[in-house]
Amino acid sequence: MTTNAGMTASTGAAAKAGGGAVRAAAGGAGAPVALHDLSRSFGAVRALDGLSLDIAPGELVALLGPSGCGKTTALRIVAGFEYADSGTVSVDGREVSRVPAAKRDMGMVFQSYSLFPNMTALDNVGFGLRMRKLRAADRNRRAGELLDLVGLTDQARKYPHQMSGGQQQRVALARALAIEPRVLLLDEPLSALDAKVRLQLREQIRSLQQRLGITTLFVTHDQEEALSMADRVGVMKDGRLEQVAVPSQLYAEPATAFVAEFVGTMNRVPGHRQGQDEVAALGTVVPVHGSTAPGLSGDVDVMVRPESLRIAVQPGGNGIVTDRTFLGSVTRVSVLLSGGVTVKVDHLTTEADAMPLGTSVQVSLPGEPVLVTERR
Amino acid sequence: MAAVADVEAGAQAPAPATRPAGRRRSFPVWRWVILLLAGAYFLIPLYAALRFAGLKAFPDIFRQAGFTDAISLSLRLAVVTTILTLVLMVPTTVYVHLRLPQVRRSMEGITILPIVIPPIVLIIGVLKVAPGFLLSTPYLLALVYVILAMPFAYRSLDAGLRAVDLKTLVEASNSLGAGWPATLWRVVLPNIRTALLSATVLTVALVLGEFTMASLALYVTFPVWIVQFEQNSGPVSVAASLLALFVTWLLLMLIVTVGGRGARKRGGAQVALFTVAPRETGQTTGEPE
Repeated sequence: MTTNAGMTASTGAAAKAGGGAVRAAAGGAGAPVALHDLSRSFGAVRALDGLSLDIAPGELVALLGPSGCGKTTALRIVAGFEYADSGTVSVDGREVSRVPAAKRDMGMVFQSYSLFPNMTALDNVGFGLRMRKLRAADRNRRAGELLDLVGLTDQARKYPHQMSGGQQQRVALARALAIEPRVLLLDEPLSALDAKVRLQLREQIRSLQQRLGITTLFVTHDQEEALSMADRVGVMKDGRLEQVAVPSQLYAEPATAFVAEFVGTMNRVPGHRQGQDEVAALGTVVPVHGSTAPGLSGDVDVMVRPESLRIAVQPGGNGIVTDRTFLGSVTRVSVLLSGGVTVKVDHLTTEADAMPLGTSVQVSLPGEPVLVTERR
Repeated sequence: MAAVADVEAGAQAPAPATRPAGRRRSFPVWRWVILLLAGAYFLIPLYAALRFAGLKAFPDIFRQAGFTDAISLSLRLAVVTTILTLVLMVPTTVYVHLRLPQVRRSMEGITILPIVIPPIVLIIGVLKVAPGFLLSTPYLLALVYVILAMPFAYRSLDAGLRAVDLKTLVEASNSLGAGWPATLWRVVLPNIRTALLSATVLTVALVLGEFTMASLALYVTFPVWIVQFEQNSGPVSVAASLLALFVTWLLLMLIVTVGGRGARKRGGAQVALFTVAPRETGQTTGEPE
């Protein structure tokens, strides 16, 4: 934590010292972005199937989903590298669907290191400004400010191959910000980095995005990244948005079984629907979360997160401990239920120590409403 | 930020060399034997030619009738052919890599045709169908040489483009506001400089050495002049051949030196005339550290 705090403080100081010009132009200048009914096919594969999404000015929205769900296609259509078969992209109320990428004023950070190998960090950052015909002196001054903003002033004269992956991505971020973009697009910018650098850069990107107020669309397959950075997260599947919500809502109130299982860890426990509002499982009857079970009856799966299940040592209980994973203050206990289903239960480590493998335990549902889906 | 710098600097530290020093220096006897045999195979004929011509023949080359015209024509043809080849092949190869990757195999097949078809067939066909205004100018040869150079130029450029993440570089350039001309000039070309130099020197070497087509089209290029002059003075003719060989060798050295300097500056490990591009297993995303 000390490390991260130090980094943020340093970045903040740098921004105050040198980011004035950038902030003046980009700060609070984030434009609203609207994707309306976007569809795109590649041969027989339908990559996008009627995607609609509104992003507020200055908001960071993450598109999250498994490989092939269409999130990168959506980002590339917004960037102008692909055109949608149908649907529109609007920025600040103006449709840009057919505007070439070079004229969209969108900054982009790519997954792979995209710095120009023949240019120094300073020249890379200044490239967009050069394309905008800025004089060399102004260009270098502005590029220097941006490098200062990402804490890489001392790397200005270095070539990409002389920098680490994290440094290259920070230069790429500075390069994208240098053109004072109306929208910032991030295409899995952290996925090639090691865990520690990824965590630090994640915080730096979020910090800069909030300070500059740039509307940002961020594509990732890493749910931790999405949930920790984004104002809202859109979970995609088969070219469609399953749900768009703030991270806490996405986790606590997933709209579909896919979202519930994709975001975080989710157990499926066999249950039986009783009337409209209740379900019986693990020997108890609990209320059903209203939005997830329309029209379901009979045998169902009850979806419940590991931290929501309760566990207690009980001879002759409904399960046996089969595995334990230490996670710090909690331990994730795997329990084989009498019906042959294994569930994961998060339990305080101090108490889980009393549950060695083979211990008979009683697993029970919480009293609060649970999610219900079709029996698998 | 210092924290980030520390972490990343740590990650950048090179791994210590683990190979024993003794093994690096070892060079088995059989390798020396092969090296000497190969060296003898190439150098003995050159030495014999030099002995036959004698050093005095070299100054005489420049005083011979027709030499200046022949070398001048060959150099002009080399310049025109190289420019035409690069102007045609660079955008084509870039376009194929970016937009039509599925036709790359076909392109490899098509571009090898000039090697398969004998030059004599090509030039006779061209002389039959070329319009009159082209038949009256030696630059007709430049147009044909572009086709002859295509296999070498395409392969050099193809290897150069495969060695960079072209798609990402072009898209990054576009997203920063650069149109196609600026992207090509400021981003693509500087990053395939070695490939451009390879294509250039191969084209130049081909033009400076081509005999059949020039001879049949009745133009006295440098190789044609050497053959014609051989009937007057054998030693001077052989000296001229050695000179041509030396000039070509100088060009190769120039590529290795200039290309190597640029590649070292940008982090390239090695410069070779014929780069073997990595097999395409996806975009390059490896960490340098």
